[in-house]
Amino acid sequence: MTFLNAILLGGLAAAALPVLIHLFNKDRFRVVRWGAMHLINAAFEKNQRRLNLEHLLLLLVRCAIPAVLALCMARPVLTGAARLLGDDKVSLVLLLDNSYSMASGAGAAANFTSAREAATKIIEGAGRGSDFSVLLMAGGPRPLIEDTGFDGARLIKELAKLDAGFGKSQVGESLEAAAAQVARMQQQNREIVVVTDFQKVSWGDDQAAGRSRAIEQLTALPLPPRLSLLNIGAPGRDNVAVESLDFSRLILGTGQALNVRATVRNFGERDYPELRVYFRVDGRERSAAQIQLAAGEQRQVLFTTAFDTAGSHFIEVHADADALKADNALAASIPVWNEIPVLLVNGDPSAEPLKGETDFLEVALQPFGQARAELADLIKTRVITTAEMGAASLAQRRVVVLANVRQLTDVQLAALRDFVRDGGGLLIFPGSRASTDWHNLVFAGRQGEPGLLPLQLVSLGGSPDENAPRARIVAEHYAHPALELFNDPRNGSLADAEIKLWYKLRLPREPDPNLTVLAKLSSGDPFLVERRMGEGRVMLCATACDADWGNLPVKPFYLPLMQRLVTYLASTVFPPRNVEVGKTLAAFFPKSEAGRVAVFTDPSGLRHDVALTAKGSRAVAEFTGARQPGLYVMNGPDGSTVHFVASTSREESDLKPLTPAERESVAKTMGATLVNSLKEYQERDHGRRFGREVWKPLLWALLALLLGELVLQQWFAARR
Amino acid sequence: MAHVSDFLAPAELQKISNLQVVARLVVEGFFSGLHKSPHKGFSVEFAQHRQYVQGDEIRRLDWKVFGKTDRFYIREFDEETNLRATLLLDLSGSMDYAGDGHPSKQQYATRLAAALAYLMLQQRDSVGLVTFDSMVRRFIPQRSGVGHLRALMDELHSAKPGGETALASVFRELVPRIHRRGLLIILSDCFGEVKDLVTALAQFRHARHEILLFQILDRDELTFPFKRWTKFDSLEVADQFRLIEPAQFRAAYLDNLKKFQHELVAGCRRHRIDLVPMVTDQPYADALATYLTKRLSRG
Repeated sequence: MTFLNAILLGGLAAAALPVLIHLFNKDRFRVVRWGAMHLINAAFEKNQRRLNLEHLLLLLVRCAIPAVLALCMARPVLTGAARLLGDDKVSLVLLLDNSYSMASGAGAAANFTSAREAATKIIEGAGRGSDFSVLLMAGGPRPLIEDTGFDGARLIKELAKLDAGFGKSQVGESLEAAAAQVARMQQQNREIVVVTDFQKVSWGDDQAAGRSRAIEQLTALPLPPRLSLLNIGAPGRDNVAVESLDFSRLILGTGQALNVRATVRNFGERDYPELRVYFRVDGRERSAAQIQLAAGEQRQVLFTTAFDTAGSHFIEVHADADALKADNALAASIPVWNEIPVLLVNGDPSAEPLKGETDFLEVALQPFGQARAELADLIKTRVITTAEMGAASLAQRRVVVLANVRQLTDVQLAALRDFVRDGGGLLIFPGSRASTDWHNLVFAGRQGEPGLLPLQLVSLGGSPDENAPRARIVAEHYAHPALELFNDPRNGSLADAEIKLWYKLRLPREPDPNLTVLAKLSSGDPFLVERRMGEGRVMLCATACDADWGNLPVKPFYLPLMQRLVTYLASTVFPPRNVEVGKTLAAFFPKSEAGRVAVFTDPSGLRHDVALTAKGSRAVAEFTGARQPGLYVMNGPDGSTVHFVASTSREESDLKPLTPAERESVAKTMGATLVNSLKEYQERDHGRRFGREVWKPLLWALLALLLGELVLQQWFAARR
Repeated sequence: MAHVSDFLAPAELQKISNLQVVARLVVEGFFSGLHKSPHKGFSVEFAQHRQYVQGDEIRRLDWKVFGKTDRFYIREFDEETNLRATLLLDLSGSMDYAGDGHPSKQQYATRLAAALAYLMLQQRDSVGLVTFDSMVRRFIPQRSGVGHLRALMDELHSAKPGGETALASVFRELVPRIHRRGLLIILSDCFGEVKDLVTALAQFRHARHEILLFQILDRDELTFPFKRWTKFDSLEVADQFRLIEPAQFRAAYLDNLKKFQHELVAGCRRHRIDLVPMVTDQPYADALATYLTKRLSRG
C-alpha cells in the first residue's frame, strides 16, 4: 500500500486523542466526600465489567474515527505484487488497427485518430523504463519502427505522422507477431494492447481459428503477456465501394475488346439516387455512368475498352461517393499481349496430316494461321518432340502442353517444375504412349513429394471396340472460368463428344484444396482436373487430345475448349500485378540486369529506387512499400514499364462492427480484457500498476464509525 | 400569606449558631402559624367547670360562663401525662455529607433535635438524648424542665460527626438502657444493613417504645446529580474511595437506593415504626408537624 498524501498519515496520531481525553478527564476529577458508599459500591460491582467492555468498545471506535479519517485523507492506494516488487515497468506491444475502416467514424474525428491518440496516451502512461513496440495490423503485421526500444518519445512522434492504412486487419497474424515480439522484450511485466474498431470482417467467427492459434502461442510463452482489447470509436455507417471488377477475357490481346463489369455496392444506410461511376483507362477518363444505388443495394456497371498496344495497361472504376475514399475506386493492371507463346510437346508425332498427337490441338489453338486467314491468332504455338524439350525451349513460354508424352528425363522434369512454379501453365493429355509407371511413380510425385501430375493414372477406362459403349462429358453448370463459356448452349455442348478410352484417375482420399475437378465423364471418372502448384497451374485431361481415343477433336466445341484452357493457364500473371495493399510488388528481369535499378512510382508520385537482386535464374525487382491503394508504376532498367495496382480488401468495406455481446464473447475466448474507452483502460492499468485508491471505502467506513459511535453511545446509555 | 416558618428554611437557620435560638425560632415560627400563642391550651387539658370557692385564683375564673350565667365557675384542667422522649442522634461519618448550599445531614439533624427538644420541654415532657456513631457517644437520660434544655443544647452543640455507622449494634446496646417506655425519635440517614437495623428497631418495639424515625437524606443522595469524573471518598472509612464517571452509574445507583428505601419502608411498616423521610432542604416545620401529629395520636 502506498499513499498519495503520505504526510497526512501524521493524522494517525489523532487516534490517541480519545485516550488522552479520557486520561485528561480522569485526572481532572472532582472529589466528593460521600456517605452512601454502599449504594455506589453495589452499583459499581454490578456494572463494572459490562461498563469496562462498553468503554473499551467506545474507546476503540472513537480512536478509529480520527485514524480512518487520517488514512482517508492520505489517499491510500492498494498496490499489486508488481508495485511491491518496486517494478511498474512494462514491455508493451501495441497492436494498432490501421485498416482502412478505421478511417471512418461516427464523430468528428475518424476512428483512427482516436486510436492514434489512445496509443500515444498508453505509451505516455507506461512506467519509466518500459519498452515498447507498435505493430500495425492492416495488410499483415508491420512494426511502426523496426527496432523495439525504450524510446517512447520517438514512437509517439512516428505515431503522429501515421494515417490509417488500407489493408484488412489481420488479427491472428498480428497477434502471432506480437507474441514473437513480446518474447524478445525486456520486462517481466508484459502486455499486449489491441486498439481496434472490432470490424466484423476482421473479428468475426471465421477469423476465430487464427485468433485461437495466436492465443495458444501467447499462452505458451514463458512469461505470458496480459492481453487487452481496446475498442475505439464508433464505425461510420455510410460507405459505397466498387467491390469487384470482372473481365470478359481471361487474357487480352491487342485490339481485342474487353468488357469490364464493375460491381458497386452500398454498404451504408443512405440511398444514392444519382451515383456517378467513372471508367478510366490508362489514367484517362473513357466513360461514365449514372446509377441509382439504394442502401444495402448492389449494382453492376458495364464498360468496354480495347488496347492498341501490347504491354502493361491499367483501368480504374471510380464511384463518386462517401468520404471513405479508399474503396470508392477499384483499379486493375491489364497486361495486353501481342501473342501467347505456347509449347506443344508432341509425344506421338506423325508425318500424316492430323495423325500426330498435337495436330488437332495446333489447329485449334491458332485457327487463323492454319487457315492462312488475315486475322492474327493471339496464341502462337511451337511444336517440339519430347526429346527437344528443355529449359531453353520453355523460356518465354506461357503454357506447355504435354500430348501423349511417354516420359521425361529428370532434367526435363526439373525444368518443367520450375516453369510451373514460376507461374507457367501446364496442360497434360496422356495417351496410349504414356508410361503409366513413370507417370504414377515420378510425374505424380516421389516419396511423398507432390509431383506435377495432378492425379495418378489408375487404369484405362472404356474400350477401343467400335460397339463398346462410349463415355460422354457430363453436361452441367460449370463454375470454373475455363469452362463457364459452355454454360451458354450457343457455344456448344461438351456432352456431344464420345470418349472411347480414358484414364481412370485416382482421386485422393482426403480433399485437396489445391485440386479442382472441372468436368466428369458419364462413367463417373474425372475428365478434367486442375491443380495449383507454386504460382502456376497444371491441368490434366483424362483422354487424348487427338482423335485416337474419341471424337473430341472433331466436335465444334473442341476449338473454344482448347483456346479457353490455354488462355486460362496463360492468364496467370506472375509476379501478380493486382495485389492487396501491403503486399510486395515484384517484377522479373533477365539475370544480367541484377544490380541495376528499377524505379517504382507510388500513387502520390513519389519515386522509389529499387535495386534488382539475383534470385535463381533471374533478377528480381521487389518493392515492399505498397502501403496505399492505387497505381504503382515500375520503370525497369531495360526501359519496360509495368503497372501494379494495390487495392484494399473489399471485405473491409462492410463497416459493420461486432455487437457488444460478440465483443465480450471474443474477449472471453481470448482470455483478454475488453475495455471500451481509453479512460477505462487507463483506470484499469492504473489500478493494475499503481494499485487501487481506497479512500472511498474508507470514507464509508468513517461514516459507519461515526454512526456506530452514536448508536453505541445511545444504546449503552439506554442500558444504564 | 407568607408564613414565618417559610423563612425558617434550613439554609437560613444554618447561619445561626445558637441552637437554642434556632430551636425557639423553629418552634415559635411553627406555632405562630397554628395559634396566636404557643402557651395556650397545650400545657394542660381542660377537664370540667366547678363552683368558685374562696381561695381559688381569680385568673382561673371562666368569665364567659359568668357572662352567661352570672355565676362564678372555675375551669379545672387535668394535668397532662408527661411524655418520655429520647432523641437518638446519628453522628456517624455519613451524616457529615452536605450538598451545595445545604446544611450537612448532621447539622440538619442536630437543629431538628434541638427544635424537638425545645418543643417537648416547653410541653413539660421529659426528653433524653443519645448521640452515637459506631457506639454510643453520649447518653443523657430523660428529664423535664427548662433547665434540662441547656444541657441538651450544649450536647447537641458539641456533637461532631465521625466514625462508621453501626445502627443495629448501637440500638441493641441502647435497648436495656432506656427502660421506661416512651417515644424514641431517631435522627439518622439509616445507611447500613437494613435487615439488622430493622431487627434492632424491633427490639425497641418489643420494649414497647414508640419509634419516630426521621430518615435524613441530602438531595444529592436522592438524585445523584454528578456529571464529570468524580472521586467519591468515604466519609466513614479512611482511604475508601471510588473514582467513577457518575453518569454511567446513576441508574444503577438510583436503583440500589430505591431497593434500599423499599426494604426500609417495608421493615418499618412491619414493626409499626413511623418512618419520616426528610431531605436537608426541607423546612424543619414539616418534621415538627409530623412529631405533633404523632404526639397527639398518643392521646
